[in-house]
Amino acid sequence: MAAEAKKGVDTTKNPIPFEMAQIPGPEMAKTYMPKVIGAIIKKSKRPLLVVGAELFDDPIMFEKAIEIGKMGVTIAATAHSVKGFVDRGYMNNVYQIGLHPLTSYLRFEDWKGLDGQGQYDTVIFMGIFYKFANAMFATLKNFNRNIRRISIDRYYHVNANMTFGNMAFNPDEYHAAIDELIAAMKK
Amino acid sequence: MATREGSFSVEDMKNVQINIGAVVKEAEEWDQEMGPHPKPGVATLRNWDHIIANRYKIMYAPADDTCTLCTYGPCDLTGNKKGACGIDQAGACGKIVLIACLMGCCAHAAHGRHLYHWCIDKFGDMKFDMGDEILVDSPLYQTIMGSKPRTLKDFNEGLYYVEEEVVQLLAATHTGQEAAFIDFESKALHAGMLDLLGMEICDMLQIVAYDMPRGAADAPLIEIGMGTLDQNKGVLIAYGHNLAAGAEAMIYAEKNNLWDKVDIGGVCCTAHDLNRIGLGTGELKVPKGIGTKPKVAGAMGWWRKMIRSGVMDCIMVDEQCVFCDVLGDAQKRKIPVIATTDKIMLGLPDRTNDPVDAIVDDLVNFKIPGVAVLDPVKAGEIGIRTAIAVKPKRAEAKVQNLITETQFQEGIKKCTTCNECAFVCPPHIRISNLIAEAMKGNLAAFSDMYEVCVGCGRCEQVCPQGINILDLFEYANRQYVKNQKFKMRSGRGPARDTEIRAVGMPIVMGSIPGVIALVGCSNYPNGTKECYDIAKEFVDRGYIVVTSGCMAMDMSLYTDAEGKTIWEQYGGGFDGRNICNTGSCVSNANIGDAAIKVATIFAHRNHRGNFDDIADYILNKVGACGIAWGAYSQKAASIATGCNRLGIPVVVQPHSVMYRRTFMGRTDKPEDWMVIDARDGKMQQIEPAPEAMLYVAESKEEAMLEMAKLCFRPSDNSIGRSIKLTHYCDISMKYFGKLPDDWHVFVRDVKDLPLAYKDNMMKTLEEKFGWKIDWKAKKILSGPLRPADVSFDPTNLPRKIRTKK
Repeated sequence: MAAEAKKGVDTTKNPIPFEMAQIPGPEMAKTYMPKVIGAIIKKSKRPLLVVGAELFDDPIMFEKAIEIGKMGVTIAATAHSVKGFVDRGYMNNVYQIGLHPLTSYLRFEDWKGLDGQGQYDTVIFMGIFYKFANAMFATLKNFNRNIRRISIDRYYHVNANMTFGNMAFNPDEYHAAIDELIAAMKK
Repeated sequence: MATREGSFSVEDMKNVQINIGAVVKEAEEWDQEMGPHPKPGVATLRNWDHIIANRYKIMYAPADDTCTLCTYGPCDLTGNKKGACGIDQAGACGKIVLIACLMGCCAHAAHGRHLYHWCIDKFGDMKFDMGDEILVDSPLYQTIMGSKPRTLKDFNEGLYYVEEEVVQLLAATHTGQEAAFIDFESKALHAGMLDLLGMEICDMLQIVAYDMPRGAADAPLIEIGMGTLDQNKGVLIAYGHNLAAGAEAMIYAEKNNLWDKVDIGGVCCTAHDLNRIGLGTGELKVPKGIGTKPKVAGAMGWWRKMIRSGVMDCIMVDEQCVFCDVLGDAQKRKIPVIATTDKIMLGLPDRTNDPVDAIVDDLVNFKIPGVAVLDPVKAGEIGIRTAIAVKPKRAEAKVQNLITETQFQEGIKKCTTCNECAFVCPPHIRISNLIAEAMKGNLAAFSDMYEVCVGCGRCEQVCPQGINILDLFEYANRQYVKNQKFKMRSGRGPARDTEIRAVGMPIVMGSIPGVIALVGCSNYPNGTKECYDIAKEFVDRGYIVVTSGCMAMDMSLYTDAEGKTIWEQYGGGFDGRNICNTGSCVSNANIGDAAIKVATIFAHRNHRGNFDDIADYILNKVGACGIAWGAYSQKAASIATGCNRLGIPVVVQPHSVMYRRTFMGRTDKPEDWMVIDARDGKMQQIEPAPEAMLYVAESKEEAMLEMAKLCFRPSDNSIGRSIKLTHYCDISMKYFGKLPDDWHVFVRDVKDLPLAYKDNMMKTLEEKFGWKIDWKAKKILSGPLRPADVSFDPTNLPRKIRTKK
């Protein structure tokens, strides 16, 4: 029991697309443990956390996003999710932009980023309508492979490079996984 | 020997063979000169398409990383690799986009072709007359074809044109033909334009032949909802898009005084069109006013809920948007099915040439589950007689197919919360949560999700316990179905010329903040109510709101505090703070028509054979934006693409990423936003307006904000820009809790600023963006991209430069 707790939440289980028929081709995402993903994000030079409107369905996730934001990761608040940050009084490095235009910009090497500091090397999706996130990952997967695609959503995202397995029906485990990821980033 | 038009004398000629080609008609009475592009071919408008694509970068979201279209394959195209034939991922995506747009285009054009033959056969040739208030009566036809149809038969030329172009476009999708994604998209834009033409032909044919309203702002309010179908009568459902058989059923019921024995309910766009018949002011060859007698059963998204609710006794399907398992669902419930067009025959025997009595007997006594009858008159009679006669015979089956409370309880107890259902549910409803609530005796969760469920039934197929989940929904919402009774305005058809004259200036100057068109089907991300919410937001704000098809139906299912539907709350004119139901799917053409009419009636642009000029005008000056919030089919992809070629941006819902291709501008690239000032030919940078051509929004809130932004045009005067900015900022404050980050980009002058935010915005412009402000004079001294200039005449076409003589 103690060993399991030390090992942490197993986010590598259930690598099935949350929309089962989303089987794109030979290249499909691998699942990783939270601490591995956390370490990768930490090592990234220009990470971008991209959050969507599903955070409103599980508002504690706003707090976790803010915690990541406070570690210096720029946040792109897509759909109308920026309201969650406004309501919590955290707008330091939060930018309001639709996921669609954001992904469009991410295609181009010469884009200067939301803060004008240059293109990102890692995007991390969280709280986005599954099919939409999947498609935007597909755009990057096919048309800008220089950006690492990470999902820390509660779904297995087949078009990401790194993702959790499906945790859509285990909110407590999912929250714990995100906490582990944040802890790994803080190390 | 060279040929040319003209006349000649045949006197004094001997032993001369004369070959006569097409007979040239008498010169048309049309004071407009022919434009440069009548009947444009596949490559004719390619330059215009490239202007669009250069500003609005083609963006693909591949649904598949492989290509499996030929025997070289499957090829892995991941990362934009090339397949064995040499096509890369972008090209492969472009090919699929073109094929999808052709599917949509063909669906409408084939519908038009069927109606053409049917109307000529039934009614004979008729004068094409849209009434005294619609003199620009076929704007798309005139703009694309360069000619004016005078009679129904004249539309044949338009149909031939579409058919030829479609063949050419489809040929380009064969392996080893087109390869460049940008040219696939040019071809897709061509297909989209052809689709607009096909839809217009279709709607004009039926408006004239069936005497439908011609721009009637006061078209009657009709009944909509499953609860409107009188269960004391036989209920015949006409499902699809082609009114021919449904209309014949209505005419048969009318002639035989059977309305007290039968109710006709339309599903999907056939519903719209049945409810427009005989409500016009033209030549009357159908019973007057008959269009108020059938009911609108509902949009196609309600189909499986409808069939499981037991409200129907007989089904006639025609074409488009019909669920492929309609026959199996009907057979289980002993509901006879009549297939009425050769597009959808469902494997049924073709009984077109059999006697009506024999067919009705077979259907009523369940000897066969359905028949194909391709003669609309015969199909209509069979439908009515079968619905009436089968009703008592299927009463037992009807009851048996409605689950009891015990069966409901047994069903929910079987759930093991494996959640397999949620993995296949398009809106990802957590069905196990609904069941958990139902186990506690709370059916509200099932009710709340009833409108979010798209009724696809994929959940039932994967449930390892075999739970009929849609039946659970039906049980929990039985009372709702009975009470689903609302009012919807009948499809009014085109905007009248007089309406365009009244709103042309305010639209182009911006004082009417925009034209919002809500179109498309029933695959909403969060349920049907979003249709109502979006429409109400914009009509309340004074936009001209137009709608059609399933969105028009779905927004009718909600009321305000006084119990009024949106149609009862607002007028039906083509005007600010009004909402128009133009009609069915093919009536979408009327929306493009209205934009063209602003150019030609208000701005006196020659539209004859002049598509790119008109599209350029619309792109730069007509603040219109479409939204297809539930779009699911290839028709929607095609319509949106046609609107894009016409210069109208479109917002779509997140499921629409399956269309694969969008058009997105780069606002960080000033060079992409250069236009020509037609006054002197100088290049001028403009604000990114409109900033996208095809935009996918994740939530309705994002959609509404983007729609408000996509109504900005470079031609807005300061009053108009101020009004548009006001709504853009208000919507952002309302749903996002803050001003949008890019509001300053659209400010050219102090007068552009919204009054409510003016002082704070001026401070922000100075402090955050470094603009220089003369506070005493309340003037902006420097900062904006360009000054406000009321006579600025933006264009993307060099030929529009007005050279001084």
